[in-house]
Amino acid sequence: MNLVLIRVDNRLIHGQVLESWVPFVQANCIVVANDAIASNPLKQLMMKASVPSRMRVEIYTVDEAVRLLQATDLDAYRVLLLFGTTADALRAYRRGLAYEQLNLGNLHADAGKARFSCTVFLDARDLDDLEMLEQAGVVITARCIPADTERPWRKLIPNVKEME
Amino acid sequence: MTIPWQTRVHIWFRLLLLQTSWSYQRLQGLGFFFALLPGLKKLYPEDQIPAISRRYTGYFNTHPYLAPMVAGAVLKLEEENARSGDSQTIDIAEFKEMVAAPYAAIGDALFWGGLRPLAAGVALFFAVKGIVWAPLIFLVFYNLVPLWFRIVFFQRGYRQGLQSVEFIQNHNLADWAIHLKEAAVVVLGGFCAFLVFTHLDPHEPPGWLGLLVLLPMILLGLGARKGLSTLLLVFLTCLTIVMVGMFWADLALVLGF
Amino acid sequence: MTPLALLTGAFMALVCGLDRIAVFQVLISRPVVAAPVTALLLGEPLIGLQIGVMVELLWLARLPVGAAVPPDDTQVAIGASVLAVVMGRHLDAMTLTMTLVCLLVAFPLGKVGQFFEHRARLYNGRLPGLVEQAIEQGKMGQAQWQHLRGMLSFALSSLLTYGAIVAGGLLAVPHIWPLVQNPVSLSAEALQLALPLIGVAMILGSINVSRAITLFCAAFGMAFLLLWLV
Repeated sequence: MNLVLIRVDNRLIHGQVLESWVPFVQANCIVVANDAIASNPLKQLMMKASVPSRMRVEIYTVDEAVRLLQATDLDAYRVLLLFGTTADALRAYRRGLAYEQLNLGNLHADAGKARFSCTVFLDARDLDDLEMLEQAGVVITARCIPADTERPWRKLIPNVKEME
Repeated sequence: MTIPWQTRVHIWFRLLLLQTSWSYQRLQGLGFFFALLPGLKKLYPEDQIPAISRRYTGYFNTHPYLAPMVAGAVLKLEEENARSGDSQTIDIAEFKEMVAAPYAAIGDALFWGGLRPLAAGVALFFAVKGIVWAPLIFLVFYNLVPLWFRIVFFQRGYRQGLQSVEFIQNHNLADWAIHLKEAAVVVLGGFCAFLVFTHLDPHEPPGWLGLLVLLPMILLGLGARKGLSTLLLVFLTCLTIVMVGMFWADLALVLGF
Repeated sequence: MTPLALLTGAFMALVCGLDRIAVFQVLISRPVVAAPVTALLLGEPLIGLQIGVMVELLWLARLPVGAAVPPDDTQVAIGASVLAVVMGRHLDAMTLTMTLVCLLVAFPLGKVGQFFEHRARLYNGRLPGLVEQAIEQGKMGQAQWQHLRGMLSFALSSLLTYGAIVAGGLLAVPHIWPLVQNPVSLSAEALQLALPLIGVAMILGSINVSRAITLFCAAFGMAFLLLWLV
């Protein structure tokens, strides 16, 4: 298992991931751990169509993705792992996927969510999830694209301004 | 009931203003609502418009050149919806969500990542030659494909509705983006050689000196890959060049050549 | 003459700045277009072409993907063109050295543009609420207007960036010109060559093409040999 980036991004595979992160971390395999996409063949098809064919894409539910990453199938790949929500990231960690760093990309605005940085909107439950991950020893930082500065998520908390 | 072509043209022009109210909360959401409103007004009675509009102002983001394709398909789906009355046959919000991110990824790779450097590389040859038409060459060369996407795929989206996604699935545009990027790298390679050569020419130094430029370029490229910022690299390089220039001038003075 | 030149620049800053995000996206905002057109309006198209070549590639690798805001190379190109023409006439130095000095002063201020654009996008964050309010009240015309109001913030951010670059240049260039004129003129051509090359190196460092450097070197080598030997 060679995880080069673990990212929480509600848009999953999109331009920032493919154009900025993939060349930066030199990934050649993207694993999407998301229950909703995994159960919808059409969405999977659309998502796979947006990735160049020389990259391997695996779309699974969170539990399956953890099992896949723990097996030896992807040992030869540099894997970029994407979660849709902080809850999924926590669930994967609890299922035994040990990772040390978590990148917060886009978590978009919704009812009851407060703005922590331009692209990160969190509610109380998200905060709990991140809290627990941090206590487990995961370093959590917010960074949209590699050219942005990396900021520890705790530093974002004073930024909280409006509630959507 | 169908949407008359005049309204569709109106919507197409409004799609040019898709990102006017871009915000971190909704991205292009309001723009999409703004563009589609004339169409919605044709399909639904006046009193239903606010209720329908509420569905449209939420989060939405895709590539501006591919947004017309989404808009066309959504118009088709709304037509079908309006025809079938209350029972919503297809979840339009779900459709929007499903196509937005993949279209955005494809558009970003194809246009921003591939076509833009390619067109820039081509136009810069002319600009270096001092040809005043270089900007026009860039605009024409660059805009042909995006304009084609914007016009033809708006129509196709409207004609095919849900089926319009098949084009994206079948044509492997993500691989085309890679081809474009490779072409861009080759053109930029040629451009750099041309640039270096035109700068060497008047002083008639030995020609092979130009090939030495590759070395610092590769170093800078590796620096960029490590995440060094353009500003820093520009600053360091310019400082080095100015220092060397001054040193060289003094040396020439002292040694008298 | 100078106020007219500054106003012409402001007009270009507005039109091209809006093209960046708010409207059209036909890429008149790229430096290779914006700088020559601005300079053409001021009667010095060749200065614009030089600036276009030098600025175009520098931040081309920074893609406007999703919510990412690249530095504002549009305003750098326009601001540097205006500065080079105005200062060149003022100090009687329509030279490559002057163009370079103006460009190097304007260039870091592209980061200011990034900041202003970011503020504009933040400021637009109040529009969704206003649109929804208008819809609740059934005022559809007003809901549409609220969307168009976003153009104001982007227009303002473009003009502020342009203002910052031009003001910074007008203040700084007359003072540093006597100091830097000689050192920069010694290696003016090398600097002119270096800037586009740095831009290409940045692109090579971040483009997701496998073996980008190999492809680049092969193309460079072949084209160079052709030019040299033929």
